[in-house]
Amino acid sequence: MSATFVAHPSTVPVQERRPPEAPSALSVIGTELFGSWPRIIGTAIFAVPIAYLVWWVLDWTFLESVWRADDVEQCKVAVGACWSVIAARFRIILFGLYPYDDQWRSALASLVIVVVAFLSCLPACWTARRVIVCWVAGFAAYLLLMYGGVFGLAKVTTDRWGGLSLTLFVFSAQTVIGMPLAILLMIGRRSHIFVIAKLSAGLIDLLRAIPLLAILFTAAVVAPLALPEMLQGDKLTRVVIGYALFFAAYQAEIIRGGMQGVSEGQAEAARVLGLGKWQSLFYISLPQAFHKALPATVSQFAIAFKETSIITIVGFFDILASGQAAYGAGEWYPYFKEVYIFIGMIYFITVFSLSRYGAYLERRTKNARI
Amino acid sequence: MPEYDINSTPIISVSHLGKWYGDFPALVDVSLDVSKGQKIVLCGPSGSGKSTLIRCIARLEDHQEGTLFVVDKERQSGKAASERLNGQVGMVFQHFNLFPHLTVLENCTLAPRLVKKLSEQDAEAIAIKHLEKVKIGEKATCYPPQLSGGQQQRAAIARALCMNPTVLLFDEPTSALDPEMVSEVLDTMVSLAEEGVTMICVTHEMGFAKRVADLVVFMADGKIVEVSKPQEFFAAPQHPRAQLFVRQISGH
Ligand SMILES: Nc1ncnc2c1ncn2[C@@H]1O[C@H](COP(=O)(O)OP(=O)(O)OP(=O)(O)O)[C@@H](O)[C@H]1O
Ligand SMILES: [Mg+2]
Repeated sequence: MSATFVAHPSTVPVQERRPPEAPSALSVIGTELFGSWPRIIGTAIFAVPIAYLVWWVLDWTFLESVWRADDVEQCKVAVGACWSVIAARFRIILFGLYPYDDQWRSALASLVIVVVAFLSCLPACWTARRVIVCWVAGFAAYLLLMYGGVFGLAKVTTDRWGGLSLTLFVFSAQTVIGMPLAILLMIGRRSHIFVIAKLSAGLIDLLRAIPLLAILFTAAVVAPLALPEMLQGDKLTRVVIGYALFFAAYQAEIIRGGMQGVSEGQAEAARVLGLGKWQSLFYISLPQAFHKALPATVSQFAIAFKETSIITIVGFFDILASGQAAYGAGEWYPYFKEVYIFIGMIYFITVFSLSRYGAYLERRTKNARI
Repeated sequence: MPEYDINSTPIISVSHLGKWYGDFPALVDVSLDVSKGQKIVLCGPSGSGKSTLIRCIARLEDHQEGTLFVVDKERQSGKAASERLNGQVGMVFQHFNLFPHLTVLENCTLAPRLVKKLSEQDAEAIAIKHLEKVKIGEKATCYPPQLSGGQQQRAAIARALCMNPTVLLFDEPTSALDPEMVSEVLDTMVSLAEEGVTMICVTHEMGFAKRVADLVVFMADGKIVEVSKPQEFFAAPQHPRAQLFVRQISGH
């Protein structure tokens, strides 16, 4: 063919043209895995060990496993997992050292936290008043149920709280207290008033420079020495505040990063329309900053959840420490794997839900393309 | 032809205004009165201080010298940042500055609700009226990024109108638009002008200036160097800078 180039007006009516059929997902995967000899060989090389691994996991988890609580004898001969340890000891994992007969209170309290957390994730709940009402009511119910001392509930001091119930509380309390603190610190750091800006920046940098462990130690051990009796409060309260401060310092910087992505023109437009500084911040800048900071915020929440386990260092039994106690007692000792897998699943479900929720939020605002 | 009354007290009175960015003089001894219903087109080469002047009037920038009256009130120098504005002076920006996280309707109702304390229904009724006036009533529930540039700029005009401003300021409202969208925005501005809205408009659109402007104010190097009727200005500019400028924008 000779290399002549021809341009001519198209004669086919637009309506008659259809886009070429896109290949189905299945055929795409088929081509990717078996499209050529090298691919077939590659697929085979990887498929065999993966299939073996999957089979081995299924076999260990389900086929050869033991499930009933009183089957510790059978566990000794079984080749599969010994889920009996969970059946026998799940109360310790969930509730720690909480008095056995009152563990329904701990269960109910955890449920309250989960429900309130779920509610406050719903867009319908996103007014300042609703969020505040939700969490104040939620924490009040949690503390009432857990601590007792009223309505005929026996008093249970915080040193006996533990397990999943404690983990949920430490996580939700640190984030719910930490988030408003983060916004305050961020506003402070961006303030035009020199003293406030420097103080906020100093506090943020200080908190980020200290390891979480040191903050928790300070809250648990050092604070009582320094503070007058009436300001000391409960050890758990101090530790939760320590967590909240740590969370706030990181989250403040995350939101500040988001604020830097909001163009100057946004605040100018708001100002010319007559909005005040605070209105402009809460209606215009912050929502856009949060949107931009969403991925980092979700990570920060995931980190906060996982770091609740450090609380054992100051003598509280979170879910991980309670798990250790659950298999640590004599006969269940060999089955620590099962306990850790169980706890791992709980961590996974929580953090995975968090990241799915983040993805939902991103999808929800995709039209706005902030 | 002028429907405005030149003898009434001006809505905006700028006299001997001076403004520096560091050591750089952005405005030098600028004086300008704008009466109710008057349409001023502000033009001049890049860097001549047009945006700076309009932003001083909007109180987005502080002046350092001279006096500034905007809508019955003297505006002190050095106080712009702390002054709470009320939407009396509407502004339309080159880059629209719509709020991307709010729908077009919410963009228009937010300030009336928060600042004028209107109920949601009242604010929406007003917003829809103005959105229909600028011919994007059917886009009310869209988010700004889903609109074309011309539609976004018209939404921004509607948003400013919802505060029922005494004067509207435009800073190059069409220069961020693709050519085919310029006229739809200019048409909107022409119809506002015909309704008698007071406006100061930074633009290089000669056709628009000839059609609606009562006065063309030409700036260079932070100074007003020529003020004349549009026909005269574009046909026979007096100042050499203005002559050069008119030659350039006429494409010769
Ligand atoms: N924030 C600022 N800091 C320092 N200098 C500035 C600032 N804003 C504007 N200037 C300077 O002041 C002068 C006037 O700027 P201005 O934006 O008012 O010009 P303009 O007439 O609007 O020009 P253009 O047609 O390019 O928009 C310019 O020389 C500019 O460099
Ligand atoms: Mg400009």
